[in-house]
Amino acid sequence: MENYPFSENSINSSIAFRSLVNATSYPGRTFQINKLNKPSVLSNAAATILITLCDNESNVYLSKEYNTDEVRDWLIFNTGAIISNKKNADFVIGTWKSLLPLNDFKIGVPEYPERSATLIIEETKYKKVKCNIDGPGIKNKLNIDLPNPELFIENNNLYPLGLDFYFTNDLEILSIPRSTKINIIKSEL
Amino acid sequence: MNEMSKNENLDIQIYNFAYLDENTKRMIRRALLKALCIPGYQVPFSSREMPMPYGWGTGGIQVTSACLIPKDILKVIDQGADDTTNAVSIRKFFQKTANVAVTEKTSDASLIQTRHRIPETKLKEKQILVYQVPIPEPLRFLEPRETETRKMHALSEYGLMYVKLYEDIAKHGHIETAYAYPVKTNGNYVTDPSPIPKFDNPKMNNSPAIQLFGAGREQRIYAIPPYTNVKSLDFEDYPFEAMKANFKCSICGSSDSYLDEIIVSDDGKRSYICSDTDYCKEQTKLNSKKED
Repeated sequence: MENYPFSENSINSSIAFRSLVNATSYPGRTFQINKLNKPSVLSNAAATILITLCDNESNVYLSKEYNTDEVRDWLIFNTGAIISNKKNADFVIGTWKSLLPLNDFKIGVPEYPERSATLIIEETKYKKVKCNIDGPGIKNKLNIDLPNPELFIENNNLYPLGLDFYFTNDLEILSIPRSTKINIIKSEL
Repeated sequence: MNEMSKNENLDIQIYNFAYLDENTKRMIRRALLKALCIPGYQVPFSSREMPMPYGWGTGGIQVTSACLIPKDILKVIDQGADDTTNAVSIRKFFQKTANVAVTEKTSDASLIQTRHRIPETKLKEKQILVYQVPIPEPLRFLEPRETETRKMHALSEYGLMYVKLYEDIAKHGHIETAYAYPVKTNGNYVTDPSPIPKFDNPKMNNSPAIQLFGAGREQRIYAIPPYTNVKSLDFEDYPFEAMKANFKCSICGSSDSYLDEIIVSDDGKRSYICSDTDYCKEQTKLNSKKED
């Protein structure tokens, strides 16, 4: 039992999902995730997203750092997910740099905008640019740091198509869905 | 893996937490998150058969089941009332299958499942409001083909809806639509607010709470995230008007809450009472405090 991702699967997955609902509903704010049993290379937050949402219908793209035996075995054993290429991925996991360029990921089609990839960005070691965000879920404009904000602006211009992002850092999660509008404040070197 | 083995309540051991199995929840949860990312867009999901008939909230109950956590305090209302059959049954269902606490107080609830009303008490951040939706497609009565309505949403082609509202004005002199009054969500998708009275429409706009919609028979889930622009469709010269019966509640005396009309005698004498039973109780309490 102690090797399962969650100790009490149905209870802990519900608690994990509630954090995801809150994070997705209030973009740009940080929400807490609980610890779980997961491969060492994955953060708790990223592992939680995969384990809570993926099943045997989910295509998962793992970038180079995460495409290890340990991660693949863990993911396939616990969810039945399919390890896929960039083009077909429903869920994508990697560091910011390893996932660029973003144009390979699916953004949905006008009739079915939900058929798009969800990107999970691990680590915060990217070049940060101060931005101001606005849109659904944001009460007063928020200031946050984003990597390559021009790509998020481009993504928002595709709305209602586009990619949805989760930034994960150990026990923390923050979302930037396609609906979020981004203004660059200034570039930090 | 018996999740409930620690629980002494034998009744709930036979269910997974909150009734639905984990695989179904995953499918619903993916749909819910995409719905939150694309406000007002109807995400198809493979709705399950629930232990109640269609039209009784099979969509709402599946959304609630996928969202519920053990710490939740659940409130269920049907037309604003906590004590009607539908509300009582659904509340009991989740007490039995999820062992969650329940309340009638809007301000105490962390998750509210509703049929056809939005509570009068202002909702707060992180509260979840789950709507039961019969027909999620606002264009369905104007265009029966799903392939066509899907294209209309994709092209933001909503002329037909405006024609419908215009015909209301041409026939009746005003927009006759009084419930399920169409809204535009985040300036993009025309969305069905479920059959709430149009009096409730303004409450959807810029709400701090999370609004989730489940249509079981029609197999659609959609969402309005917090602080999202929700605009009731109208014309410059015929602006949207939230209206209610122009009376006071005969129990609490409130003149600002939505009223139900009830017939109180054989010769058809009418009386009006708050549709939101919790709000009515609160107002009655406030009044008696004032009198003291």
